[in-house]
Amino acid sequence: MSPAPLPPPRFLKFGVLVSAMSMFAALGVFVMSLEPQDDTIAGPRVVITDAGCEPNALDVSAGETTFTVVNRSERAIEWEILDGVMVIAERENIAPGLRQPLTARLPAGDYRMTCGLLSNPRGTLHVAAADDASPASPLSHKDFLGALAEYKVYLTLQSRRLIDAADTLHRAIEDGDLAAARDAYAQARLIDQRLAMATGLFSDLDQRLNARAEYFAQRDEDPNFIGFQRLAQGLFEASTTAGLAPVSAQLRDDVRTLAERWRHQAIPPAQLASGSARVLAAWHDHAIDQAPLDARELLDLRGLLQGADKIASLLGPLLESRDPQTLSRLTSELAALETALPESGTAVDRDALLTETRALSRTLSEINHTLALQG
Amino acid sequence: MSPRSLFLAASAFGLMTLQGTVQADVATEALVEPVADYKLYVLDNLDRFVTHTQDFTQAVEAGDLARAQSLYAPTRVYYERIEPIAELFADLDASIDAREDDYEKGVEDPDFTGFHRLEYGLFEQRTTQGFAPYAKRLMADVNDLEARVQGLTFPPATVVGGAAALMEEVAATKVSGEEDRYSHTDLWDFQGNVDGSQKIFELFKPLVIDEDPAFVERVEENFAAVEETLAHYRQDADDPTSGFVSYEQVSDEDRRAFVGPVNLLAEDLSTLRGKLGL
Repeated sequence: MSPAPLPPPRFLKFGVLVSAMSMFAALGVFVMSLEPQDDTIAGPRVVITDAGCEPNALDVSAGETTFTVVNRSERAIEWEILDGVMVIAERENIAPGLRQPLTARLPAGDYRMTCGLLSNPRGTLHVAAADDASPASPLSHKDFLGALAEYKVYLTLQSRRLIDAADTLHRAIEDGDLAAARDAYAQARLIDQRLAMATGLFSDLDQRLNARAEYFAQRDEDPNFIGFQRLAQGLFEASTTAGLAPVSAQLRDDVRTLAERWRHQAIPPAQLASGSARVLAAWHDHAIDQAPLDARELLDLRGLLQGADKIASLLGPLLESRDPQTLSRLTSELAALETALPESGTAVDRDALLTETRALSRTLSEINHTLALQG
Repeated sequence: MSPRSLFLAASAFGLMTLQGTVQADVATEALVEPVADYKLYVLDNLDRFVTHTQDFTQAVEAGDLARAQSLYAPTRVYYERIEPIAELFADLDASIDAREDDYEKGVEDPDFTGFHRLEYGLFEQRTTQGFAPYAKRLMADVNDLEARVQGLTFPPATVVGGAAALMEEVAATKVSGEEDRYSHTDLWDFQGNVDGSQKIFELFKPLVIDEDPAFVERVEENFAAVEETLAHYRQDADDPTSGFVSYEQVSDEDRRAFVGPVNLLAEDLSTLRGKLGL
């Protein structure tokens, strides 16, 4: 193997020069990165004395602010920024005589600050909306982390209840106790429908648990027709538990499989809203052909609404900063559907239910666009 | 260019490269599960906190001084474990866990309530007389806390930051013995804080171990050192549930022995947020 030809000396000199320059640039950046640790921090300064905050009222602009907290009281303190009763930023254990920085990113609004002793008066912190109405930067997946984790907690807690309810249902069917089985069905189905969006991530389980008879070649005679719809047909139409035990046993196993899959399944953030929109639209498209709506369809809708409500509570904080109008529309549509959905035994305004369900589904389906969220 | 400035520039470059890896972005999807598991841990501890608070406050209301004294520390443990979340609610943190020094008038302050108010009665005044209203208030506050935490979307940065916050809490108020100055049950709280911190570390460990195995090893060593010193003071060395002797019996030497590893843990764990890109 012959040695590679050497580059001309002129290139070498040039290369050395360039690398030296970039090293100098690096040094400059490094020195600049030390600057903020100096004593000359820009930004509001608050002094805590034995009696409270000085000043007792601060005004800052929305966005990132670095506060300098100086402890001139006689004891170690913590300094907190409160939104209502919630602590949204804090600096703990500031020793007497010392100062500490606290950097927080605050949306516009009115906050309070703690000022040493709990018996001291609290200070106020007013955060004004930023002057430049610069468009908010697009949300990253990280912004959805809290919501996705909370949804995972919801799935875990609800699926524990679903497993218990499926066990109760299977026992009632094995005992041949029709009334108990009908009650247990309602309990289990309500939870199942709250989770319909997430069940939809797994088409095999979704089909086994939720598919209606019309999706099978031989309709309700089809051997593959199982799950909740098959049980409902037996319990509410044929009015018997006879022959249902294998179906409820399968359902009991399937909800366990479902819970196990959810444990390790990543939910794509876009599914939260679009998946909820999809399951409500599916209910709507089925119900529009049914007149009148029966108690089981109303039960399903109640479960779907509760699931959508959870999703709305998770996406609410993100929507609030991006598009408060969509958030208020979503909130009022959820409330309208809740009102339209009757307690059992009262008259059903079918048109109102269909209209409100479609409106809610549409708003949910627009949220990903609002949040500029794909995938 | 002088050799000295070359050296400086090279170190600057090296430092910046280091900073680059510290900021390494862990995939968001990977963070969902540990944050969710942490909430489940908190809910489980809250559930037990409510049950223990029922027993504790009932003993106070029933005037059973000895029983109330014995239940004080085992009840607090659950609060100490979940403090990073519990203290997000400033009003309840004050009414449940504030100390007399948080108030201008100390124990005379009418707003001074919660565990430490009861501690003062049970261990200093040695009576339950007149403390039923504080017991009732504590129970109501703990129920309120449970309801609020259930509805709370956990802020991921607070969850991860909680590992260091708990160790800072130990360093600031537990080692000195000021937290439980009348009951001297500080070691219970100490263990609660360590448990809570360790739980967070364990949940996120798989996400940092490949990137920085030395960090993980160091943290595990320091947790082990703290646990070992704590174990000396268990009522029954082999039974982790047996509780602890009075903090007055902890030698000055051992109090100092806690400081090193506790501070190292607080320091190391404070880098966890950055390592996870939060």
